[in-house]
Amino acid sequence: MRTYPVEIAGVQRELPIVKVGDQVAVALLNLLGDSELTEAAARALSERIPEQAEVLVTPEVKAVPLAHALSVRTGLPYVVARKTVKPYMVRPVTREVVSITTGKPQLLVLDGADVERIRGKHVVIVDDVVSTGSTLKGLKELIESVGGKVVGVLAVFTEGAPRDDVIAIGHLPLFEPEG
Amino acid sequence: MTIMETYPITVGNVTRHVPLVETLPGMRIPLVEFLGDVELVREAARLLEPHLPEETEVLLTTECSPVTLTHTLAELRDLPYVVARRRRRAYMEDPLIQEVPSLTLGSSDTLWLDRRWAERIMNRKVAIVTDVVSTGGTIKALDRLTYRAGGHVIARLSVFQQGQREFNGEAFALYNLPIL
Repeated sequence: MRTYPVEIAGVQRELPIVKVGDQVAVALLNLLGDSELTEAAARALSERIPEQAEVLVTPEVKAVPLAHALSVRTGLPYVVARKTVKPYMVRPVTREVVSITTGKPQLLVLDGADVERIRGKHVVIVDDVVSTGSTLKGLKELIESVGGKVVGVLAVFTEGAPRDDVIAIGHLPLFEPEG
Repeated sequence: MTIMETYPITVGNVTRHVPLVETLPGMRIPLVEFLGDVELVREAARLLEPHLPEETEVLLTTECSPVTLTHTLAELRDLPYVVARRRRRAYMEDPLIQEVPSLTLGSSDTLWLDRRWAERIMNRKVAIVTDVVSTGGTIKALDRLTYRAGGHVIARLSVFQQGQREFNGEAFALYNLPIL
């Protein structure tokens, strides 16, 4: 198996390189299941959170432990944007985004109670990897549609084309699929 | 569905007034939300940790709501954890696919475990962690996934048990959640 070495705040990992389409393979970061790496990333990113941040917002589910760990360190509350409308939600707000890698539409959902925690607040988006930015764009639009102001984006890695609108610890290249 | 009122839920030193939701006509349950609540998660993890057997080698949970609880328990005990997903991901190779037994006909749920993650369970002593047990369907599915991955379930831990226990597997829960 091909791997790609990364280091996050002194913690080293070999990320498996996996095929995600006919044309492209990616180095797979999985914070789910790796509390040591999650805490290291939270340690590094907590020092770089914009000062005016009042609330963190993260998309379900891979970045959720990171948002939790950042929240523990900074005392800032966090909100999870879900990918489905749950039957118990009250006045949920949704936005559909089309993933460039999978071509499939994906829903982003804020429960009504969470909308109240975002409205009028300075929001920092937390994600694990920002690649094409389609989720990020949809999430920004969703937050702004309910009256939040996005003041920054934090990610462990950017991927593919370098981008300067994301505060990241590192950058991952894209790979050719094997064979 | 109508939100009727709130109900007080206490975990150790943390109390939350959570919404009561009517899931079926005439049946209301308190809706506990662990996502987004750092204080509640840390208190629940602190109280569950002594019930985690010494010999536990890996924790197993599902997305999404028990993830931060499992992360916190894993950190307290310096253990790895594995998350069974509820949707197939593009990068999964040769995943284990497990139906979740459901009491409601026609509503099926499926768990997906990538082979790379299944390998972390093989020959390991596994503790299943969740936030709320109701029918036990998810726990049964995680039991079955562990067996199929070659692991051994040595504990099943939950913060809440909702209503009466209706499954055979023994799950330990810190508190009971009433059905009103």
